[in-house]
Amino acid sequence: MEKKYRVLIVDDEADFREIMAKRFNRRNIEAVAADGCEMALEKLKACEFDVVIMDVSMPPGLDGIQCLAKVKELWPKTEVIILTGHASVSSGIEGMKGGAFDYCLKPIDVDDLFEKVALAWEKVQISRS
Amino acid sequence: MSYLFDYLSSLFSSKPRLTPAELQAAFRSHYKEFRALLTANNNALELMAEMEQVVSAGHSFGMSFIRGHCTALSVNIFKMVQHLNKLSDGKYARLDETFRDVAMKLEQVIANRPVTTEGALILSMGEIDVSMVDQVGEKMANLGEVKNRIGLRTPEGFVITAVASLSFIKANDLQVEINRRLKGLDLNNLEELYTVSAGIQGLISSAPLPAALEELILYHHHQLVTGPDSCELLVALRSSAIGEDSSNVSFAGQYRTQLNVSREVVGQAYKEIVAGKYKSQATVYRKQRGFRDQDVHMCVGCLLMVDAVVSGVMYTRGPDDPRSNFVLILAAPGLASNVVDGSAATEQFKVSRTSPHGILESGFGANHVGSEGASSPSTLTVMQAAELAEVGVRLEGHFGVPQDVEWSIDRAGLLYILQSRPLGDTKKEVLPPRRDSSATDDLPAPLLAGGVCASSGVGYGQVFKVRTTLDLLRFPMGAVLVVETPYPDWASLLDRAAAVISETGQVAAHLATVAREFGIPAIFGLKQAMTILENESHITVDATAGKVYSDEVEALMMLAPPKPNLMVGSPVHKTLLAALEYITPLNLTDPTSPYFRPDACQTLHDITRFCHEKAMVQMFTFGERYGFDDKAAKQLVVDAPSQWWVIDLDNGFTPDFDPESRYVQLDHIASVPMLAIWEGMMAFPWEGPPPVSLGGFGAIIFQSTRNTNIDPAVRSVLTAKNYFLVSKNFCNLSVRLGYHFAMVEAYLSDMRTESYVSFNFKGGAADDRRKVARIQLLVDILGHFGFRVERKGDSMTARVEKRSVQYLTERLKILGYLSVHTRQIDMVMDNHDSICHYKEKFSTEINALLGIQKMA
Repeated sequence: MEKKYRVLIVDDEADFREIMAKRFNRRNIEAVAADGCEMALEKLKACEFDVVIMDVSMPPGLDGIQCLAKVKELWPKTEVIILTGHASVSSGIEGMKGGAFDYCLKPIDVDDLFEKVALAWEKVQISRS
Repeated sequence: MSYLFDYLSSLFSSKPRLTPAELQAAFRSHYKEFRALLTANNNALELMAEMEQVVSAGHSFGMSFIRGHCTALSVNIFKMVQHLNKLSDGKYARLDETFRDVAMKLEQVIANRPVTTEGALILSMGEIDVSMVDQVGEKMANLGEVKNRIGLRTPEGFVITAVASLSFIKANDLQVEINRRLKGLDLNNLEELYTVSAGIQGLISSAPLPAALEELILYHHHQLVTGPDSCELLVALRSSAIGEDSSNVSFAGQYRTQLNVSREVVGQAYKEIVAGKYKSQATVYRKQRGFRDQDVHMCVGCLLMVDAVVSGVMYTRGPDDPRSNFVLILAAPGLASNVVDGSAATEQFKVSRTSPHGILESGFGANHVGSEGASSPSTLTVMQAAELAEVGVRLEGHFGVPQDVEWSIDRAGLLYILQSRPLGDTKKEVLPPRRDSSATDDLPAPLLAGGVCASSGVGYGQVFKVRTTLDLLRFPMGAVLVVETPYPDWASLLDRAAAVISETGQVAAHLATVAREFGIPAIFGLKQAMTILENESHITVDATAGKVYSDEVEALMMLAPPKPNLMVGSPVHKTLLAALEYITPLNLTDPTSPYFRPDACQTLHDITRFCHEKAMVQMFTFGERYGFDDKAAKQLVVDAPSQWWVIDLDNGFTPDFDPESRYVQLDHIASVPMLAIWEGMMAFPWEGPPPVSLGGFGAIIFQSTRNTNIDPAVRSVLTAKNYFLVSKNFCNLSVRLGYHFAMVEAYLSDMRTESYVSFNFKGGAADDRRKVARIQLLVDILGHFGFRVERKGDSMTARVEKRSVQYLTERLKILGYLSVHTRQIDMVMDNHDSICHYKEKFSTEINALLGIQKMA
């Protein structure tokens, strides 16, 4: 069956990204995992994703906010959902200002995350139409 | 809300027209922004409500809750500002600056305090007083005050400061790893809690001490043993955490103390006491009492051991009665630790607070295992008891509040003060209400009776006996903890326990102190409890009377006082209160005021309110700005009082509806929320205005001339037009019926995060008392049906979010019903019978509407 859309999950916690990728795949959504910003950018250079889910504090190298800027530079219509366990008001605002679709906190209810991804996909479709 | 009516009239003015396709595209774009703004608005309001709820509810929360909620709130309000500016073509760009200003202030409130690693690593007891609490912790600062300012005898020693423990942790780069292990720790998962706690303690205990610190400790240790008490070689290492021992927060027994420590192991003992910060019960306790992990620093007092003959605890007032006129002394042979860990047989003395401090009463507690009838020798002489009482009264006089004092008397008969801390004042919160004898006259025979009341109150639950750590891990939520000895280690179970019963121990045990703080009823010294009580049997514990009953005794449970709010006054609680100053106060209340503008917003709530109001205006002026077709509003063809008009925003009508028609039949309405509201409105015929007495009617006319909130134009038009703005999944209904205004708004979606139903209600023509009575009626009914209700004077809002479409559809039916049936009943809300009548009528009819048998 053809996948509905493509999601890239960027997180340095292996368990989290692998489990999430499996859950997306079970919902017929193609999901690819990356362990950090560099791997994510490599994958994004190879092809476009519809939605990117990204942790903002992934040591080492680029942090999520910088990575967000790179993603938007490569694919302006790709929507990025920032997901973090280290919340701060300023990073939340920075993320939104940098063009994130949403800024969510870990732990997150998986169904809520799926809904946010679906909304982001809705926006991607509108912006591409 | 009057803007709605002001602007609705402008919908139909003649303007340059867009083509239908352009109009639809423009509208869809606006509607998309509007919908997203409403979603963010709902999220923001929900987050604010959650924050306000934890402030008052007393549930434990940490900084991660505050940081997370403030961040999520800021993100949602940022979105609202962006959406509003898109809706208004940047008209409110100034709002962005206001938002950033408020968000920055909020961030400053919740920012971590910088932790200093500068200052002395070690301070001698001779140079310490209460002003040094941030360096040496409260226990040692108080002890220094006792020694240096009050002039009482305390053991010689020194304190290894907070700076030292921070340097130790920093030198080994442990904090990142500790934070990583604590992150996401579920305190309710006891096995995980114990594993993580043990792991962190191991990490700290096995890390090497910085050489400079180790040398300094040994140097001061050497100074001690060559000092005036050179014959003493052993020391006691006592935790003195910053934040410990303040009034109302005892941390009793939560951290470590090591006695009889020799020079060879003093460094290791120090590390273990620092590691004790992460003992499982201490971690739970901090969380429950609202202490941030990073705010608690472990200082360690290193004091010469007192060669104690007799030791104990002294309360300068009765722990149950802060006005009592006696000093309560608990004494046992040997070290004071035997008394506070609950293991020793103690003799209790009540001594007069006034000179010559005579003994009023004395006797051995429940732990004493002497032979039947034999009289035991007293642990204290009359002189010693009098000296202790005199010292206790001095300590209380100096510190200004009743004290909980640990003491020892050595072989030379010298009295040493080991600790003096405020006697917890939570007691007054947990004292049971006065017993009405009629309520307890018919109690069944108790299963067990006796012991001492270690913490008063009544609790009910299943028996769970704890003997080992394994038992501890299996302790079920809400059970009665039954133990042989009240060790401080059991304290981590207190937030799960309904009551505590111990076969031994007395009121001075650390576990008793913590139980009193948490408002958990506790009986100590209840013999044979472990034998007679059977696991999984259900019992009621009346700690106040020292009795245990089989099963639930309702007459006693009704006397159980509410649990104290343990978070009040804690650092985390204070931080949340300070953060809420920038979040919840609503200063922008009147949209018609000249001050209803971006630069007047002082809080995030103000910005939320501003965005919501202005977004509504943008939507309702769409026709004015884009030349809305004057046929847009269709009159609903129904056999119902009042005129109802429907404006289709997006797929709110069925495809076969003729867009040229000026009327719309109910059959052509496709809006799911509108149909639900309508069903509620029409389910029962409105009986018309209730009959009002001549006096009552006169009062209403009088009020209507005085009430400036009543628009004169509306006052004369009791049958004003009412508008539904609809799409397939959205509905906004504004109803002005007579003198009251109601607005129902809903968005129903399979995506729970977007779905909501909200209801605003205001006004009426009657006097305040009757309007308030009607609002209370609405609050009661809506609260019962799961709405989160906020009430202010004669207005109220009710919301419910993130529920299934079916659940929300039912709530819309209720709101439709109430919108119609509560109109003008404020006129007759003048007596209890009338209020009860309407409550009963509304409940019955709503239940029938929803197919529910009976309102609980």
